[in-house]
Amino acid sequence: MLRILHDTRFDFIKWWRWAAGLTAGFILLGLASFAFRGGVNYSIEFTGGTLMQLQFTKATDAGRIRSTLDRAGITGAEIQQFGSDSGFTVRAQNRQDVAQQASGAESVAKRVEAALTREFGANAFRVVRTEGVGPRVGAELRRNAAIAMLLASLVTLVYLAVRFEWRFGLAAVLSTAHDVLVTFAFIKLLHIEVSLTIIAAILTLLGYSGNDTIIIFDRVRENLKKDRKSPLYDVLNRSINETLPRSVLTHATVLAATLALLFFAGEVLRPFAVVMTFGIFVATFSSIYVASPLLLWIEHKWPRTASDKAGKAAVRASRTEMPPGERTPRSREPERAGSR
Amino acid sequence: MSNLKYRVLVIVVLVAASVWSLFPRKVVERVKRGDRFVFDTVTRVPLKKGLDLQGGMHLALEIDESKGTVDNKSEALDRAIKVVRTRIDEFGVSEPVVQKSGDSQIIVELPGIDDPQRAMAVVQKSAFLEFQITDETQALEKVLPRFDAIVREAGLAGPSAAAPGDTGKTEKGLNNLFTPGKDSTAKAGSDSAKKDTLALTTGGPFSKLIQQGGQTPGEYYVKESDIPTVQRYLDLPGIQAAMPPGKVIRWGSDTQSLGAAQYRPLYMLDSRPIITGEYLIGAKPNQVPIEGTVVEFTLNNEGGRRFRAETAKHIRDFMAIVLDQRVMGRPPVIQSAIGTHGQITMGQGRSLQEAQDLALVLRAGALPVPLKVADYRTIGASLGADSIRHGVRALAIAVGLVVLIMIVYYRFSGVLAVVALLLYVIYTLAMLAYFNAVLTLPGLAGFVLSVGIAVDANVLIFERIREELARGKTVRTSIDEGFRHALPAIVDTSVTTILTAAVLYQYGTGPVQGFAVTLIAGIIASLFTAIFVVRTFYLLWLSRSRGAQTLSI
Repeated sequence: MLRILHDTRFDFIKWWRWAAGLTAGFILLGLASFAFRGGVNYSIEFTGGTLMQLQFTKATDAGRIRSTLDRAGITGAEIQQFGSDSGFTVRAQNRQDVAQQASGAESVAKRVEAALTREFGANAFRVVRTEGVGPRVGAELRRNAAIAMLLASLVTLVYLAVRFEWRFGLAAVLSTAHDVLVTFAFIKLLHIEVSLTIIAAILTLLGYSGNDTIIIFDRVRENLKKDRKSPLYDVLNRSINETLPRSVLTHATVLAATLALLFFAGEVLRPFAVVMTFGIFVATFSSIYVASPLLLWIEHKWPRTASDKAGKAAVRASRTEMPPGERTPRSREPERAGSR
Repeated sequence: MSNLKYRVLVIVVLVAASVWSLFPRKVVERVKRGDRFVFDTVTRVPLKKGLDLQGGMHLALEIDESKGTVDNKSEALDRAIKVVRTRIDEFGVSEPVVQKSGDSQIIVELPGIDDPQRAMAVVQKSAFLEFQITDETQALEKVLPRFDAIVREAGLAGPSAAAPGDTGKTEKGLNNLFTPGKDSTAKAGSDSAKKDTLALTTGGPFSKLIQQGGQTPGEYYVKESDIPTVQRYLDLPGIQAAMPPGKVIRWGSDTQSLGAAQYRPLYMLDSRPIITGEYLIGAKPNQVPIEGTVVEFTLNNEGGRRFRAETAKHIRDFMAIVLDQRVMGRPPVIQSAIGTHGQITMGQGRSLQEAQDLALVLRAGALPVPLKVADYRTIGASLGADSIRHGVRALAIAVGLVVLIMIVYYRFSGVLAVVALLLYVIYTLAMLAYFNAVLTLPGLAGFVLSVGIAVDANVLIFERIREELARGKTVRTSIDEGFRHALPAIVDTSVTTILTAAVLYQYGTGPVQGFAVTLIAGIIASLFTAIFVVRTFYLLWLSRSRGAQTLSI
């Protein structure tokens, strides 16, 4: 039997101060980037504007495209190499261009194509993808994305509150919120364009990070039933250690998927894959170092009352499986297990 | 034992149903045979590819209210949608989607369109037909100085001022054309009262690009090469604001060569149309001896009544036939009141084909309201094919890695999980096909991701079984306990993910909705395979190897 990190006894929670410092620092860095480097880099879906993906027959440079467009009066368009050195994307999303699209979202794309045809010739490039979004649609999408984020968090919160005891639910939701914040900071620091697909990635992470926390908390809940004497600190640590092999394995498989997306799924999906890959690390980190210390803090702040305990004890009594004295259920087992 | 039989039966039936639902089958759909569209049976896999995977075009059209508010938008859209659909059908794609979205938009999806510009032109050249009287008050001349000032203020006059000599020359040629024998260039623009010399040049950046046309009031000419500049000036907010009240400027539909250069007419029109295409019921091309190619049109009774009343007021005036803000041909003069029947003269030398096209646009295109493109996406077919290739490659690699991890780590149990994973892939695809979900690029990404997440439930169960085994329990008990204990966590995680995906579906657009759908389908399938299928495999194995002492996990 192949085992990874089996029967470990790490004191994870001891490091919570370091963890808190690290993640707070990262979020602060993201905030600082907000303050000094301007707002979020929204995609045209949200701001309105035009995106064109061009495939030239010969390698050309972004500078020439830029100057051509400048001369045609499309100033401030962002030109980026995309894939090979003959592929480019053109993004026109400044206010002036967007305002023009109020009368028809396709107008800017037509002008870009006309200007480039004049400069490079009609057969020198192909437009492989165009997106044009009028200003009104952009505003509507922005609103919808915000609603989606809030609603998803709310729904998760309500579910966790119903399914778990409220202290667990609160800790899980706060830790999930932390993940979203850190991921936003990451997106900001890497200057990744926030598109609908990225919002989808963040929402998926919201669900995924919740999962990770749930799995640890589920074990905590179970261990609390079995073991009423140990302090919560120990129970948390033990639960994290017990679920560690699962966490490693699951993250390995999910990482396999996101890395496959990152390296093999092509240019269009890359930002999505980058955010997902990062998010999975954050989710793992936070379920151990954020959710658990939070739960500890919440339990400390609002301790369980006697009536709480009585209720719980009644449930426990019926479902107890372990002899009450045994504190570490899996003691001395690995050698025997390994020989199988 | 019979319990086990039922379990196996359920799995086998579901696999069979899934495979059957994914099997290429004959479906009846509209296909193009030559030039016509017919319903025919074709064989294809029932999983639909989204526009971003097969290439094509997505358009959202909404009412253009820049020309006045529309009272009942929803109803107007209902009428417009029929027109758009007719036009799309004429255009020719196999499975077009034309539907209303909310109360304010029409969604058009054209799969496999390789020429988006043409498609957009057909859809949007939505042939909003108006008859407008040309301006006779010299409104443009009056505001020209003001326009010049605005352009100068906007600081846009630079590049176009570069070739004054050139402008001078063509002007001369033009003026000579219209007023033969008269030397007008010398005093051009100095005497504004002298209308018949026609040169509007006052040296202003705007006015020097505009030349008066001739016989038709409100008609001007712009050199082909100056069109973008003039258009840019006209788009300036300042110019828009300074436009004489009740007047609009419209370009002519085609260029005319005068001398060496090409010119396009520009018209100043009364902004109120005397009638719109709403009342048009028929149009057909014809060739008549003197006027050449014409399009004859018919209005309905109410339209005829209005038209008669309006044209009676405007006898001797010129009436521009404006199709989607373009003046078609030269505006004809109204000789007498026109009723339900009228004709658009296209002039000599125009082919019958052109008249046919115009008639078609008029017939199918009498849109009750003008439409504009609110947003659109076009994806080249080659890019779509690329995306599929990349996506499938990523999927294969992800599956390969996951299979490797599971088998290396869990051995025999890992093999069970891998078989379950294959069933998972089949079930998920079948579910997508069953719900007529559209597979998009983000959807493909979601699917790849869900493969990684799908084995999570297996991992949870296997780890739990290992723990139970480590406590010295028998294989059978360990398996039972493992499933029992892992279940709450699996259900909780699945429900939270489904909830967020559902929210995403509700608020996302096309491709992202595809992502949400694949995620939801994936989770449901993974719940079933991890809990039910793998459990059944274990039960089968246990019943085979009566009282196994060890489990490879």
